[in-house]
Amino acid sequence: MPEEERRTPRPRSRFRQSGVLTRRAQRRRERAELDPELDRSSDDDETLAALRGGTGRTDTKIDWGRLLRPGAGQVIVAVILAFFAMAVVMQIRVSTQDETYASLRRSDLVQMLDSLTQETRRLEMELSELERTRDELVSGQDSERVAREQAQKRLTTMQILAGTVPAEGPGVVIRISDPEGKVGVDVVLNAIGEMRDAGAEVIEFNDSIRLVTSSWIAQGPDSLLIDGKPLTTPIKMEVIGDPHALEEGARFRGGLVSEITSPRVGGHVTVTRSERIEITALHEPRENQYAEPVR
Amino acid sequence: MIALLGLIVGIVLGVLLEPSIPAWVQPYLPIAIVAAMDALFGGLRAFLEGTFTDRVFVVSFLSNVVIAALIVWIGDQIGVGSQLSTGVVVVLGIRIFTNAAAIRRQVFRA
Repeated sequence: MPEEERRTPRPRSRFRQSGVLTRRAQRRRERAELDPELDRSSDDDETLAALRGGTGRTDTKIDWGRLLRPGAGQVIVAVILAFFAMAVVMQIRVSTQDETYASLRRSDLVQMLDSLTQETRRLEMELSELERTRDELVSGQDSERVAREQAQKRLTTMQILAGTVPAEGPGVVIRISDPEGKVGVDVVLNAIGEMRDAGAEVIEFNDSIRLVTSSWIAQGPDSLLIDGKPLTTPIKMEVIGDPHALEEGARFRGGLVSEITSPRVGGHVTVTRSERIEITALHEPRENQYAEPVR
Repeated sequence: MIALLGLIVGIVLGVLLEPSIPAWVQPYLPIAIVAAMDALFGGLRAFLEGTFTDRVFVVSFLSNVVIAALIVWIGDQIGVGSQLSTGVVVVLGIRIFTNAAAIRRQVFRA
């Protein structure tokens, strides 16, 4: 067929010029019959419409009668449309059900899982780091608390030792009467030494003199002097410590009691145990002028 | 008319029966639907132009759907599934727009 041969090589403009529009439309219809949704470039349509112009649409004739008259083809189309509608509905339901994951491809899912795993690992690392920090903080707080408690304990010990705070506890009260005035420095020093030997922790004389590490005893013009304060008789010596040990320390043969009651001194001693002795006399510590702690 | 009826029946069936999609179809159903839409628009255009043939419509519908799904399946097999499906959607979208433009010209003469 010569027309077929001519179709492809010949440029389109020749068709228009030669006025074979009707034949072209005929062919177009044939082609369209074979493939209804064939892509036609829009300018082709434009020129067609323009060429048709005022003559009207001779080549488009909708067969409305066929539409109302059901045939086998119509039924097939209906079935296909029904399938299509069903598929659309199913798809819509699926994508609204679990919108994100069900319709995803395997590679996408794998990628998503990967990123999730990475995120999890990162978060776990962060978690362990934070836990470590928390543990450090807690233990630091603990050790700080322990250190503070120990420091507080040491401070209390030191304060009692230095005589800057009142103290109370079990102990003994020793009253020494000295009618002949023969209780000297050596006797008092012995008494203090024996008391300390027996575990005395706090010693007070006459409710007013707190004996501390730096205390000194000397013979004054009228009486004994402890830390520069006169020690009047009768001497009242209050000692905090184990009452039993203290009493034994005072009473042993050749000790404090026997020394004072001996004919050489001729004094009188009473030793009284007490469950609670309160010592309120304080010692004013002087600031050290020369000594400094070794660092 | 029967075609419209079929559409409505399909929607009703889909809503009422709540059919579950087989797992192997799931990734390809959206692409198949887009291809089917392309075929539908083409069929509508052909109908408006008076060149509609049910045989052509059926064949083009089925082949469109099958080929679209097949392309995406092959893409999945060789590891470019998502890219290929994007490409198919783009091409089909262009065709749908072209057909829609033709339908518009037929219906509104504009």
